[in-house]
Amino acid sequence: MNIKTRKVVGQVFFLLIAFYLDGLMKWAFLNNMNHGGFNVLPQLMLMLIVMLTMRIDDRRHLIILGIVFGLLYDSYYYGIIGLYTVLLPLLMIGIDHFKFLLLKNNMGYDLSIYFLSLTFLQSGIYLLERLLQQTSTDVLDFITYTLGPTLLWNVVVFFIFYIPLANLSSWMVKYRRDSK
Amino acid sequence: MQKFFSNKKLIILMILIIVTFGLLAVTVNIRDKKSTPPVVQQIGNDVVSVVGGVFAYPTNAVKNATSEFSDLYNTYTENKRLKARIGELAQNQAKLEVVQEENKKLKQELKLNSTLTDYSTVNASVLSRSPNSWQSYLTINRGQTSGIKKNMPVMSGKGLIGRIIEVDKVSSKVELISTDNELNDKFAAEILGNNKNITGVVSRYDSDTGDLVMENVTSTKNIKKGQSVITSGLGGLTPRGLYIGKVYGIKKDNYGMTNSVYITPAAELRNFTVVTVIKSSVSGEK
Repeated sequence: MNIKTRKVVGQVFFLLIAFYLDGLMKWAFLNNMNHGGFNVLPQLMLMLIVMLTMRIDDRRHLIILGIVFGLLYDSYYYGIIGLYTVLLPLLMIGIDHFKFLLLKNNMGYDLSIYFLSLTFLQSGIYLLERLLQQTSTDVLDFITYTLGPTLLWNVVVFFIFYIPLANLSSWMVKYRRDSK
Repeated sequence: MQKFFSNKKLIILMILIIVTFGLLAVTVNIRDKKSTPPVVQQIGNDVVSVVGGVFAYPTNAVKNATSEFSDLYNTYTENKRLKARIGELAQNQAKLEVVQEENKKLKQELKLNSTLTDYSTVNASVLSRSPNSWQSYLTINRGQTSGIKKNMPVMSGKGLIGRIIEVDKVSSKVELISTDNELNDKFAAEILGNNKNITGVVSRYDSDTGDLVMENVTSTKNIKKGQSVITSGLGGLTPRGLYIGKVYGIKKDNYGMTNSVYITPAAELRNFTVVTVIKSSVSGEK
């Protein structure tokens, strides 16, 4: 196995772990089912995806990763295909497109990009689901009870896990820098 | 014509929009109308859920351990209360056995094979909950191979928690009773009264109070707080006699026209790792 395939296998492996952690975290710690109100959605996979997108330069590779994991996410968690499948690759292309504006990778940049992409993704999903009448929540309730708590929780988690995550994602794409 | 197709970005955008809405519309329709998703999706979901089991079992073990710890904390007060009821329980159990035996004989006499109260069960453990605010789904590790079909009701230890929404080969998705989806959150129910049972439809979940709302109630005259609510078996795939919860109160709607009965659900919807899928012996309308 050459170094490139090994790195790709590493990326897929860690993305899969983050994918499962999303569901398990929601199940084990964050399900407030009996008392409605706040709805926290763990988005660890998105966290890793954003970190990887900030570091990988190959756009085709990014799109393939986005579509594959988007499909998995939609099919396994949502039962409707077309939410993550479309929004995730779009988001990754967007980040890749404006990446040149950022001089170097530091925590502030990563955090704000993650914040923006989380907002984009959740609002996109809300709009699409509202359009297809999968939900009857109104916009204000969505912002107060879903978007706000989700952003807060995920940003705090991002803050805590930033250093290991950044090291991990740099390691997963590192060979490019060496070969340059 | 040459010019029209030369703008590559516009074409891509157009295709993207068509693909998005096409995919969404097709999958929503399949979910609502077909009994199973396409084979490719089934296989994909099964592979993901089988691998996910590796992560789910340790999580469930931790979850069980923590709930055991909190159980231990309440043991003393609970023990006192339970001791008071244990005599009553033995008496009821003996009575139930006699009545069940009698019921079986009477059914044979009448040549009734199965009624609305007959069902068999399948146990399954929970693999994950979808990180998603509107489709409250649980993934469980049993599917078509265990005889699970779409729309079967699902119970936790204490009461009704939801219904099967998608069936794959070895896994399926449960939509919780607390869902927002208007197509799927209705259960035909009845309130057990002293002399006459009152029927209605549990049709809504009030997310502010955590109560279930029962509408289309025949009469609210004899309903008292604390009465038990069970499924009435009048809706097809749900058998009669699954415990839903207790009556909490009655409210009029905004126009003062109809009465809604608020029900405190019996199932806690949170502290369980194993669920029971109910297979009704009488097949109703599809």
